[in-house]
Amino acid sequence: MEDKNFRKPEYYVNRELSWLLFNRRVLSEARDKTIPLFERLKFLSITSSNLDEFFMVRVASLKDQVHAQYTKTDIAGLTPKEQLKRISEDTHELVQLQYSTYNRSVYPALKKKAGLSLITQHEDLTKAQKKYVDEYFEEDIYPVVTPMAMDSSRPFPLIRNKSLNIGALISKKDRKKGKEILEFATVQVPSVLPRLIHLPADKDQEQAVILLEEVIERNIGKLFLSYDVVCAHPYRVMRNADLSIDEDEAEDLLKEIQKQLKKRQWGEVIRLEVEDKIDKRLLKVLKTEFNSKDEDIFYIQGPLDLTFLMKLYGMEGFDEFKTPAHQPAPVQEFIDKDNVFKVIQQKDVFLHHPYMSFDPVVEFVRQAAKDPDVLAIKQTLYRVSGNSPIIAALAKAAENGKQVSVLVELKARFDEENNIVWAKMLEKAGCHVIYGLVGLKTHSKITLVVRREEAGIRRYVHLGTGNYNDSTARLYTDCGLFTCDARFGEDATAVFNMLSGYSEPKFWHKLIMAPLWMKRRFLGMIEIEKKHAENGNKAYIVAKINSLCDPDIMEALYEASAAGVQIHLLVRGICCLRVGIQGVSENIHVRSIVGDFLEHSRIFYFYNNGAEDLFMGSADWMTRNLDRRVEIVFPVEDDAIKKEILHILDIEFQDNVKAHILQADGQYEKQDKRGKVLVNSQMIFSQEAKERAKALPGHQVTSRVFVPAEPVEDDA
Amino acid sequence: MSITTFAAIDVGSYEVGMKIFELSKKYRLREIDTIRYRLELGKDVYESGRFSSGMLDELCTVMRNYKDIMDGYRVDAYQAWGTSPFREAKNAQIAIGRVEQNTGIRISVLSNSEQRFLSYKSIAAMEADFQKMIKKSTAIVDVGGGSMQVSLFDKDALVTTQNIRLGNLRIRERLQSLEKETIHYEQLVEEFIHNELLTFQKLYLGDREVKHVIFLGDFFTDTIFHGESQEKTITREEFNRLYQTVISRSPDELAMHMGVPAEYASLIVPTAVIYKNFVDIFQTEALWVPGTLLADGIAYDYGEKHGFIHSKHNFENDIVVAAENIASRYLASRRHTQAVAKIALKIFDSMKKVHGLGERERLLLRIAALLHECGKYISMCDISDNSFHIIMSTEIIGLSHAERQVIASVVRYNTRDFGYYEEISRDIGADRESYLIIAKLTAIHRVANALDRSHYQKIRDLKPFLKDGQLVLTLDSERDYGLEKGLLKDKADFFEEIFGIRIHLRRKKQV
Repeated sequence: MEDKNFRKPEYYVNRELSWLLFNRRVLSEARDKTIPLFERLKFLSITSSNLDEFFMVRVASLKDQVHAQYTKTDIAGLTPKEQLKRISEDTHELVQLQYSTYNRSVYPALKKKAGLSLITQHEDLTKAQKKYVDEYFEEDIYPVVTPMAMDSSRPFPLIRNKSLNIGALISKKDRKKGKEILEFATVQVPSVLPRLIHLPADKDQEQAVILLEEVIERNIGKLFLSYDVVCAHPYRVMRNADLSIDEDEAEDLLKEIQKQLKKRQWGEVIRLEVEDKIDKRLLKVLKTEFNSKDEDIFYIQGPLDLTFLMKLYGMEGFDEFKTPAHQPAPVQEFIDKDNVFKVIQQKDVFLHHPYMSFDPVVEFVRQAAKDPDVLAIKQTLYRVSGNSPIIAALAKAAENGKQVSVLVELKARFDEENNIVWAKMLEKAGCHVIYGLVGLKTHSKITLVVRREEAGIRRYVHLGTGNYNDSTARLYTDCGLFTCDARFGEDATAVFNMLSGYSEPKFWHKLIMAPLWMKRRFLGMIEIEKKHAENGNKAYIVAKINSLCDPDIMEALYEASAAGVQIHLLVRGICCLRVGIQGVSENIHVRSIVGDFLEHSRIFYFYNNGAEDLFMGSADWMTRNLDRRVEIVFPVEDDAIKKEILHILDIEFQDNVKAHILQADGQYEKQDKRGKVLVNSQMIFSQEAKERAKALPGHQVTSRVFVPAEPVEDDA
Repeated sequence: MSITTFAAIDVGSYEVGMKIFELSKKYRLREIDTIRYRLELGKDVYESGRFSSGMLDELCTVMRNYKDIMDGYRVDAYQAWGTSPFREAKNAQIAIGRVEQNTGIRISVLSNSEQRFLSYKSIAAMEADFQKMIKKSTAIVDVGGGSMQVSLFDKDALVTTQNIRLGNLRIRERLQSLEKETIHYEQLVEEFIHNELLTFQKLYLGDREVKHVIFLGDFFTDTIFHGESQEKTITREEFNRLYQTVISRSPDELAMHMGVPAEYASLIVPTAVIYKNFVDIFQTEALWVPGTLLADGIAYDYGEKHGFIHSKHNFENDIVVAAENIASRYLASRRHTQAVAKIALKIFDSMKKVHGLGERERLLLRIAALLHECGKYISMCDISDNSFHIIMSTEIIGLSHAERQVIASVVRYNTRDFGYYEEISRDIGADRESYLIIAKLTAIHRVANALDRSHYQKIRDLKPFLKDGQLVLTLDSERDYGLEKGLLKDKADFFEEIFGIRIHLRRKKQV
């Protein structure tokens, strides 16, 4: 057989373009009229914040590459310059679609259906409302805004990254007739004030809100008293914020990050958003000062920065337009059990969030902090919630004299500021805090509790696919496993020894770690599957991941597919593979589920001649996960749990409501549902989790009827 | 169930390792945690003869962290042993002082023979395999950073053991400057070690046959051999194949291929070459790589001493057999030394209340008796001094340097006038405690030796009986022991001086 080249650029999709397709899938949720109106607001808001992050990180990095005259092509054969061009085209299209969704569908429905009047032009205010907002301006807004003008003696001011601003052209009053000299002035829409201002109800008793920038725009004259305001329009800039730290030089990572955080405000402007009807003269000033090219300017037909829709979603009332708040079901194994360790001793416990509650995980750390037999708690923390109960429990544990080691990943993007604060707090409480590893991001999610019991040391391990974050655990779909299997315990101990700077263990019993071992293992397992196919045996790979873009893995998958391995992939976000290429990928099926919950778990399945090897973990099939991060993937060996996870995969492949299927042309399409039973996997899991919690024998609802006690019988 | 948590720390040439164990009667030895930190202490020492200050700072940091880890596990007891770099560094005591001051951990220096004995015990922890293995003629090759140790076993007992001052780190450092001038680094290593190995072969191996070789050493020893499998025994053919894959790769490639950190990879080639040479010298059939570390031996030894472990293998016997082999190398009269040993031990046992010494001192007495004649090999004059020097320069596996000093001194004062505290502490630096041990053992040994003065083993047996400040020795002998009795007098005086007990001889009534 000839050696086939599976690395041809035409077999692959650029990752940024694939990401934009993902954001389109999110947008399609906002466009789906079968979804409650306020949920659609949420999706629309998410597309907007997603895009912001995408620009700050990905586009910024490409810009850097262009500046550095880097011309190496990506896996799909595009140079950075070509990528930027394509991104700009696709993004403009996406933004068009975003605002047509907003203008044509969401906005009218708000008023018509929900009876909420969202005022986006201050001219639409009623008289009473006008009076109200003007007072609001004087009392609340005026004291916190800082108007800034630019002239020969005052340079162009710093416009903060992601901030919303109003730019204006002003001219001096009482100037003698003749030439009018225009000056540029700008004012930041204060981020300390809510973007939405509730207006007093009008006679129809209809709720009404107005955007903060409209109130400022209406009153802008008051900010430049001795000037005439010729025009005023909102604008917004996005700056290069990729946090590239030179770790070789950074003596102290912590200090370096603090420094970078300050610098982030100053990065190059990579996107300029302006109102589409902006005054040309004003635009010219902005364009010059920000040094923006035409393709980086977005003319917006509506309010800038749609993330305010999330605030709108959060407004009280409107319950009929929202999906009822999700209540995670209690985890059957832990119901009515007051000692988590005893439960785990009985058997391994599987958790599927957010369908099942995250409480056992919090409780695990909390009980460990108090349990007199617990000697040590070790945990990796990537992104935690503000006011995290886990952090509190860890601090408590240290105060109780337990040995607490916490690896805090400072490099978790955009969370640095947050992380530094509580890392310091933990340190103060007496925890041993490791501030990440030089050159590697620690993305693994593992907790180890060492407990001294009657028969000696026993180790309890929690391994997960998601962060130890009790807030996101209600929104992200993640899997977790509790076990006290000694082999997992030993490996977990070795993981923390390695993270503390000690040498690696002789061998791993169960865990597969990146960056040193994981990629080889995955490639090996794919290779084995390929061999099975070549020998004419059934060969089957299933993977559920967030992103797929590692070239080696994709090449191996192509090879396996060409050899006849059936490959079924659930890839939520970026997928650089193409399907349906003759002789390359006809055996690969890719689908993406975008639903109410963010699909986040990573599951890997290899048929392996009937052995059915199943793994879960923190790693995606991305180069950064496999080569530049500390990740853990672990096997699932308990038969009952294995069955449960296979069921999850099975249902997700049956999903015909929220699943988009990747087509040979690179587009994602939903299936034709006509004549089919609707399967919404997330809803099914939610239902199942609730039923399971209820079905527990011995779980009685406490009776509300008081039962008088019988009198004590006299001794005979 | 009572469980003792024990930490074993091994400060070696290029690594500071700690293992945490749980010891219990039920589970014996259970490993809880292994922590290894890479620190090339040996690099400093083998080059300049001392620890640099920077290295010591780093060592203190590591030890402080280890202390925290021990506290975390609520360790009940620990032992921290320094090996080769501590034996060689001129400023070892200063280093130990600094570590203790900084961390509270006291590092004790393990003499080579003790270290090798503990490594050897680490394999013994793997009971069944070990018993099976040493039934046949077996060699243990233990390669460390500073030196290697080769021990030969026959029929369940240790025959001989030799230390060769060539370890992987030492070889690497010595050859570093030459490395870039050759593309066959392995040949360079081979030439470098050739002479030493040849000497070993000529003097100690002779025509002895070795069927099995056990390779001990570092964690990467087994990395070299295992490849993907966890099989611990491999054939010679397999070894040769693995050897080829090792030497055909650069350290970086090795690191990648074997999945070991790059820093260790540079030590793999020297290690592999040493193994290869021994495999060829021995013409061995099979190799066993148990993958145990010194720390395992430390814990095993601790467990044994504290009654958690009862080994099927008699380790004391290994020491005795090793001593016997040394004695026969120097043509000592086996019958005489055995007879003296027998008598000495009987007296020792009967006097327990008086001398207050334990099992370990009993072993030292026995070995002193076995070796007291070896000086004759050099010259008939000055036997005692010659014996002293032979013992001092012959390693006896399982015995520390200090213990060997005790033995050598007992042998020396067998015939020479006893030196008192000043002399002995000046000569060998003995402290008060070991001085008293020397004195007591010498007194017993002198009496025992005198009772076989003629070397005829006239006394078949004896029964000591301690009563009213007198030690009555009832001798079972049909022959005239006038010579012995006559020459015993001044020995008995010395005995009385030491113990305050007078010896009386009495012949057992013949039935």
